[in-house]
Amino acid sequence: MRLSVDADACTGHGRCYRVASALLTFDDEGYVSVRGQAIDVPDHLRDAAEEAAGTCPELAISLLDD
Amino acid sequence: MAACGYLQLADQLREGAPVYFNRYAQGYWIFSRHDAVRDIYKNPELFSSESITPWEPDPAYRFIPTQLDAPEHLKYRRIVNPWFSPARVDAVAGMVHDVCRKYVQDVAPRGRCDFVTTFALQYPTEVFLTMIGADPEKTDSFVAWVEDFFKGFGGDPDGVEPMLAALASIRGYWEGAVADRRGDPEPREGDLASHLIHSAVDDRPLTDTEILDMLVVLTLAGLDTTRGTLGYIFWHLAQHPDHRRRLIDEPELIPYFVEECTRYYTIIFGDGRKVAHDAEFHGASLKKGEMVYGLVAGANRDPRYWERAGEFVLDRKKNNHFGFASGPHRCLGMHLARRELAVGVEEWLKVIPDFRVDTDQPLMERGGGSMTTLLELPLAWEVAS
Repeated sequence: MRLSVDADACTGHGRCYRVASALLTFDDEGYVSVRGQAIDVPDHLRDAAEEAAGTCPELAISLLDD
Repeated sequence: MAACGYLQLADQLREGAPVYFNRYAQGYWIFSRHDAVRDIYKNPELFSSESITPWEPDPAYRFIPTQLDAPEHLKYRRIVNPWFSPARVDAVAGMVHDVCRKYVQDVAPRGRCDFVTTFALQYPTEVFLTMIGADPEKTDSFVAWVEDFFKGFGGDPDGVEPMLAALASIRGYWEGAVADRRGDPEPREGDLASHLIHSAVDDRPLTDTEILDMLVVLTLAGLDTTRGTLGYIFWHLAQHPDHRRRLIDEPELIPYFVEECTRYYTIIFGDGRKVAHDAEFHGASLKKGEMVYGLVAGANRDPRYWERAGEFVLDRKKNNHFGFASGPHRCLGMHLARRELAVGVEEWLKVIPDFRVDTDQPLMERGGGSMTTLLELPLAWEVAS
């Protein structure tokens, strides 16, 4: 699975990196550190990735199955 | 209004129709459901923040950065973002716990209190003042000023004079602080007023007016909101011993509980925006210059979007509510607010695990123009002798 964060949509609510702290973290301003990027999701963190995507008020996180 | 009256009104409006035109003042559109509120927040090019008060399309005041649009908005927002970032909130977590414990330990032996005036107002105010390098000894003054301001803000004619006096006092405090720091060659560590004096926008220093506007709006926005949500959180806990027990046994659920409180007991009844150009929007023909009001409390409990919308689900997952707004103007202080709310629950339950509402009278709330908030919350508990 791949997880990508829309750079324009993310406003730094921080819900994703709180519910999926094993996968995501924050930058100095509180945006998710991988804003505007896509990352691989290890299999054991798929549920966390789905929770992160579903908890974003901006719907900035997309998941793509391999 | 009786407690939760504004939530019931939001539910009624949402189920009655998706869009209304309210003839109050100059008249404005109300969008009551989740899809339209989401799209208002998602389209700041169409929905300007020039005014955020639906019955006041051309306000005489301009709060910075609240009432700025892109690209100006982000210039100011970037100056203050790091002060309220998750990293900064993590750095002051020890202080938040210390301040909270102090208030809990003070009230615990009394066996009863009005939660609003002995805890919900003071604790977040002292945390906020300490965090931005203001004088924590001024906690009681700030509490009184912010109270007077929001009493008048709701539209009560008797409240206008105290409101203006309170605003002058808050501004006066910050004028003194800025004057005191003006001559410093370097910004003072952990001191927001000092930091603003040394900040630049478009390669020029911020003006005194900008600095004071920013400090005043942070003070007003930061102190009334946490008080409002703390009130509903503890009202809920007082009525639900099973939820208290679960949070004591599983404290890792406290952040989920706080999010669900922010959704279920939404304190933002609605959020206003000004239409920037003519457009068709969710069944309404909007004209440039008109005001819209997105019913945030309606959206956060809309069964068209949420499963078990009207139910309080303590550990609700994927809880992407608009309780802290959404889009570029999302709440600046949300990371601090969440921490204060979670620490408040944790520290209180450690010392006072069981408590009840201590009145037979219905609790009352204010709202409308300002954030919804309980006026009083009498609580009582057993004190070990």
